[in-house]
Amino acid sequence: MKKLVMAVLLLSSVALVTVVAQQRIFTNPRPEGHFKTLFPNAVAFSSFGGTPLHWKAYGVDPKTNPNAAPIGVIFWTTDMVPNEVGYHGPIHMLVGMDMTGILTGVIVDYDSEPYGYFSVDPPKFGAQFKGKSVRDQFRVGVDVDGVSRASISITSAARAIRDSARIVARALLTPEMVKTPGPIQP
Amino acid sequence: MQPADPWGFDEATVETWADILGPQYLDLALLAAFIILALVGFKRKSVALKYVTFAASIGYMGFVKSDLISITNIFSVLDWNFPVFKFNLAWYLFVAFTVVSTVLWGRLYCGRICAYGALTQSLDALLGDRLRVNVPKAIEKRASYIKFGLLASVLTYYLVTHDLLIYQFVEPFWMFGLNGTTAMWIGLGVLIVATVFVRNLYCRFLCPVGATLGLMSYLTVFKIKRWHECSHCRICQKTCQWGAIEGPKILVTECVRCDDCERLYADTTKCPHHIIIARHAAGGGRHGHPHAHPAPLHRRPEPLNP
Repeated sequence: MKKLVMAVLLLSSVALVTVVAQQRIFTNPRPEGHFKTLFPNAVAFSSFGGTPLHWKAYGVDPKTNPNAAPIGVIFWTTDMVPNEVGYHGPIHMLVGMDMTGILTGVIVDYDSEPYGYFSVDPPKFGAQFKGKSVRDQFRVGVDVDGVSRASISITSAARAIRDSARIVARALLTPEMVKTPGPIQP
Repeated sequence: MQPADPWGFDEATVETWADILGPQYLDLALLAAFIILALVGFKRKSVALKYVTFAASIGYMGFVKSDLISITNIFSVLDWNFPVFKFNLAWYLFVAFTVVSTVLWGRLYCGRICAYGALTQSLDALLGDRLRVNVPKAIEKRASYIKFGLLASVLTYYLVTHDLLIYQFVEPFWMFGLNGTTAMWIGLGVLIVATVFVRNLYCRFLCPVGATLGLMSYLTVFKIKRWHECSHCRICQKTCQWGAIEGPKILVTECVRCDDCERLYADTTKCPHHIIIARHAAGGGRHGHPHAHPAPLHRRPEPLNP
């Protein structure tokens, strides 16, 4: 009897861990407020979906013109690279990217980094990625500003943005759309 | 042979160890050098090397890297949530050294690795005993329990609220990051002023990380050995800055392996153990039996409380 109870407990905990592990990282369920910051010229946004998970931003409302092409996409870094963690867990960032692989903005929505308050939280951190190409290096100290004493948070965030932007580019864009390498900022 | 990637991103298709280590070797080498410095000073019981270690700890581990074990690392253990291993090898080496050294020797981390501990111990050495208030033994003993209470409260608070930023109010280690709010700097100022009067106040009485390492120190493998004479001699107890000696007993939760008592044990002119042996050897034993019990000169110290 004791063994049976133990076995049931073990199995159910394995099942629970598996279920939990398969879930998306829980992010801000209402990020729409940030969309206009990422795409100021957009008039409409699609619903969340697709593979990989994303929203599309439209310059012309697809309700009036069903053939309207998206001007860009928005995605969570946590959906693309769930295993990329900083000092204490994933840094939840919303990234906007146009259809030529240029980032239109990065919003740090949530993080639990102990030194986040002077590294990834200030708007200055996300702002530096605006205009960067998916082909850029995203190396801290090279084309991403380093922050002394918070390097674990900063390097993790930079990797998360680069890797997730490249995953989305490979899935939704073509190399021809992203021809020119972006300028490497000093 | 893989087909050429039409995207041509600069990431290597197969990551080699060289790719991973490249950006990290400097951090790793400097940390390894620091650890070696600390261990050599510890093994040699050298006062001079200890102060060199303090300087390296404050300068490099503190102000350059801000690498200190923090209560947030204990939160990370509770959440089982750590930085990515391959990108943070130096951080893992630092944490592993802290855990392993604590199991081997006790709170060695507190005694010479922690930048804040190094700072207050250096401050104490600089100021001397002019302003120092010596806390009575009874109060000292009670005060040393505060850190365990603080540890339990902070962990409970964290488990209930998951508010990680509580660390800003229970530990001063953020100061090496040089980023704090006015309230944090005022709190730190009060703590430093108090430390001028009561030495190593934070480490001895308040630090939740020290409390954790103190509890881990019950596992200590290489304990400080004591002579038989230690059961009645009080020289070391009076010398210990950390209130870690109680008669023949060393309190592992308080001892930070500062070497002060171990230097005394080895001192043949101060430690009664050696003086008694020397008297026996010279034939002037107190009981007047010159050759009755020839005590071996180089007997290993025997642990009184293994």
